[in-house]
Amino acid sequence: MSSAPIRLSPDTGSSGYWDAARRNELALPVCDECGNLTLPPAPVCPNCGTTAPRWRFTPVSGRGTVRSWTLVRNSFHPAFDHLVPYLVADVELDAQPGLRVVGRLLDEGAEPPRLGDRVQTSFQELADGLTVPGFVREHT
Amino acid sequence: MSTRSAGRQVAIVGYAHSRIERRSDRPLGAITVDTARDAITDAGLTVADIDGFVSDPRLPSVGGHEVVDGVSVVTSPWLAQTLGADARLAAGHVGYSPITSSVIVAANALASGACDYVLLHRSLHNPAGRYHAATSPDVGGEAQWTVPHGMVGPPVGIALPYNEYILRYGATREALAEVVVEGRRNGARLPWSYWHGKPLTVEHYLSARMISDPISLYDCDIPVDGVAAFVLTTTDRAADLPHRPVVVDGYAKGMPVAHRPQGLLVLDDMMEAGFTLVNRLWEQSQTGITRDDIDVPQLYDGFAPLIYVWLEALGYCGVGEAHEFVRDGRISAETGLPILSGGGAIGNGRMHGVPQMLECYLQLSGRAGERQLDRAEVGLACHGLPLYGGAVLYRAG
Ligand SMILES: [Zn+2]
Repeated sequence: MSSAPIRLSPDTGSSGYWDAARRNELALPVCDECGNLTLPPAPVCPNCGTTAPRWRFTPVSGRGTVRSWTLVRNSFHPAFDHLVPYLVADVELDAQPGLRVVGRLLDEGAEPPRLGDRVQTSFQELADGLTVPGFVREHT
Repeated sequence: MSTRSAGRQVAIVGYAHSRIERRSDRPLGAITVDTARDAITDAGLTVADIDGFVSDPRLPSVGGHEVVDGVSVVTSPWLAQTLGADARLAAGHVGYSPITSSVIVAANALASGACDYVLLHRSLHNPAGRYHAATSPDVGGEAQWTVPHGMVGPPVGIALPYNEYILRYGATREALAEVVVEGRRNGARLPWSYWHGKPLTVEHYLSARMISDPISLYDCDIPVDGVAAFVLTTTDRAADLPHRPVVVDGYAKGMPVAHRPQGLLVLDDMMEAGFTLVNRLWEQSQTGITRDDIDVPQLYDGFAPLIYVWLEALGYCGVGEAHEFVRDGRISAETGLPILSGGGAIGNGRMHGVPQMLECYLQLSGRAGERQLDRAEVGLACHGLPLYGGAVLYRAG
């Protein structure tokens, strides 16, 4: 485990996500009015326009499709100094068409993915008490 | 004729540009005052004539550097006060595509009669230390959705849509090398450029280190200290001034198209925003300008792959074809489509849209010297990403 120097300050709009991650679950905010998933949660629902979306963090499928990736070679935050080079993927989640998230590819010695590769969420403790969702390749 | 030409016509009538340095030993405010005075003189005016000041003072770093007016940024109120001007308007727009927004504010202030002469400036600073590196371990707010996932800073942000482009359309590093080499070739001819006298070879480009694959070192503009200033006024007043005026013919801003984690750029979002922006630009031209009328198209290249997005959004080629379009001299300033004739950000340094505006001004006013293009009546300056960014049409007065 790493003692990487990152201090997260979750707020009411994010603590549901980080609490779930600690339980190795992916939970995303859903609008109480229209049921749409949105990341990040916003004061006004980007889908239906309600000003009272009352975001609820709900467990979702962590499976998805790789739309792009980058191999990060320069660390721009001290938490990643010991991890470079590492792969970050842009993933469209199965949970909702068009819903894109980024996550590190956590497979050991991973080769760069191909467009359309299938992935599923996996979890890594980046610092004490901070578990971060990432992805691993699905084996077909 | 368009119905978009309400109010008086507005033109650029003079300019000045400081030397672009990696790090200046002078405070940014001192360089800005020198440059502003030079621009006012160039326009045949005095400080007493200038009654409007417009700028975007943003320091475009995510590294949390200290912001001090007159030192690391220069706002319009600071500049107006320091010059001792009797300003009726000192406006600042902070956000994406600063130059487009500044031109829009200046043009409308002049067209409405709120001001008679506007000084528009952009001052860029390269702070000590690493430009984008986080200076604190704390992560909160919008950054929670990207930074803990290892997505930190603009180079990582732009690498994702660029790789999406590569994965879809088979673009190669050799293709982007031609873009960067053309920008640096033209930048090497500019006396003020950081890269003056320093063109780049394809071999040197290809051997440079990777930053965040597929983004490599020379795909990124270099952070610098530098200042540009332009003087704008109405075309009736411009007729009495020394240089050929360059008229602001129209402009359009790009708008976000999807709600995303901050900094997550998606290729399809950029293209959608780009097509909307370009259609709006033609609609808002005062004289019905469209793509084929443009002699001096200056595309934005703060990250080199953005050239592909702009080429395709403007319709110079089909979607997915820009990486082929840029090859074999087709974007040569002398013999092709001169999209980087002014060097761009890659050939000047991180001047945030100034090179595109300046090249339009220099070419359309006939002041480009030995670089003067044969035909330069209509110009287009693109700034930033089509998403959030903007574009301005100019015509020779
Ligand atoms: Zn909703």
